[in-house]
Amino acid sequence: MSPAKSTQQIVIDGLWKENPIFRQILGICSTLAVTNVFLNTAVMCISLTLVTALSCFTVSLLRELTPRNIRMMVQTLIIAFYVIIVDLILKAYWPEMSRNLGPFVGLIITNCIIMGRCEAFAGSNPPVLSFTDGFFNGLGYSFVLLAISVVRELFGMGTLLGFDMPYFSTPYWDKWIIMVMPPGAFFVLASMIWLCRSIKSKESKS
Amino acid sequence: MRDKPYFAVVYMFVVTAFFSAILIGFARMTRGQVEANKQIALEKAIVQVFPEIEVVSNAEVHNIFTSQFKTVKSPKDEDAIFYAVYYKNDAITGYAVRVEGQGFWAPIKGFVGVAADKRTITGVAFYEQSETPGLGARIDEDEFRKQFVGKTIEDSDEPIGIVSAAQTPGDNEVHAVTGATQTSVRLEKLMNQYIRAWLDAMQNKETAP
Repeated sequence: MSPAKSTQQIVIDGLWKENPIFRQILGICSTLAVTNVFLNTAVMCISLTLVTALSCFTVSLLRELTPRNIRMMVQTLIIAFYVIIVDLILKAYWPEMSRNLGPFVGLIITNCIIMGRCEAFAGSNPPVLSFTDGFFNGLGYSFVLLAISVVRELFGMGTLLGFDMPYFSTPYWDKWIIMVMPPGAFFVLASMIWLCRSIKSKESKS
Repeated sequence: MRDKPYFAVVYMFVVTAFFSAILIGFARMTRGQVEANKQIALEKAIVQVFPEIEVVSNAEVHNIFTSQFKTVKSPKDEDAIFYAVYYKNDAITGYAVRVEGQGFWAPIKGFVGVAADKRTITGVAFYEQSETPGLGARIDEDEFRKQFVGKTIEDSDEPIGIVSAAQTPGDNEVHAVTGATQTSVRLEKLMNQYIRAWLDAMQNKETAP
């Protein structure tokens, strides 16, 4: 078991050093699926961050009580609980967004970041620290996804947040259809990982 | 208690019951709103297929829908709308034909507006679809939907057609969304199926005494 981390460490690890996307390579499924339009990505990121933080908090609360052999079942149950709540809120109060995201909200349950954090951190740390850990891992996921979605929406559709952009929305820009499709996400994601890891390796050398 | 073998079972049972209870409560709380959203989305789709109706708010949609439309239920399924008739000054001005079927991921549901001549399309709208965001989901955008306006339904087994961008669309055809082949193929199929059924029903009505 790792020694207790300070809040500052948790923040830095979640956002950068142990970033779920370009370090742990977790949650790639949703990275590929929902990053073609910026607004959808933003809502997805908020949902995931909240679900991760709250799930970690709850798992941590129950950690002393939960028998080890059934902890995965309990974790899945808790994660599903929060995801269904998010899904219901979207359906009730933002039906258009709920329709845009379609099945992907429900699929947050299977996002490996959440279970990864529950297993790796929340299972052996106090609730508030676990909440912070989940929250900043969610943010670490979010900023990479948002960056990818900006590139994809701009190059693929020539818009940003649905608004026309100068140059990209004019006929001079030949829209890259592949950016909107799943393969586009592969290329942008790979470039992002490459970029972020190059910065990192420079950091560790100095 | 904790080291007893049945503890895990009891624990799981209690935890599940606890979280499920909250979820059931929450689902009940929001059910009214969710249902209302679904109903208004349906009414909006019906009203939207007639571009001459200008709508701003959801309340207006509901008013227009209740005062100027009459729905006809499907003969096979009592709960489903077959088509809606649009009345203006007590005269039939158009029909909103419901179309429904499996899309790429999940069912696509929508309406096709047809003018009183039963041939000219006035518009299309979808109220339920879960196609790929940014690709298939663009069937819901104006750019795709506007193409249908003014097209003519053909009295054949394939009343309308969705063709690829390379082809020039005919009198009853529109361009597909680029990159969304599966969605387009399925959409064409389901639209044709329902429009055909409606045409048959209309023709039977005319020939019946």
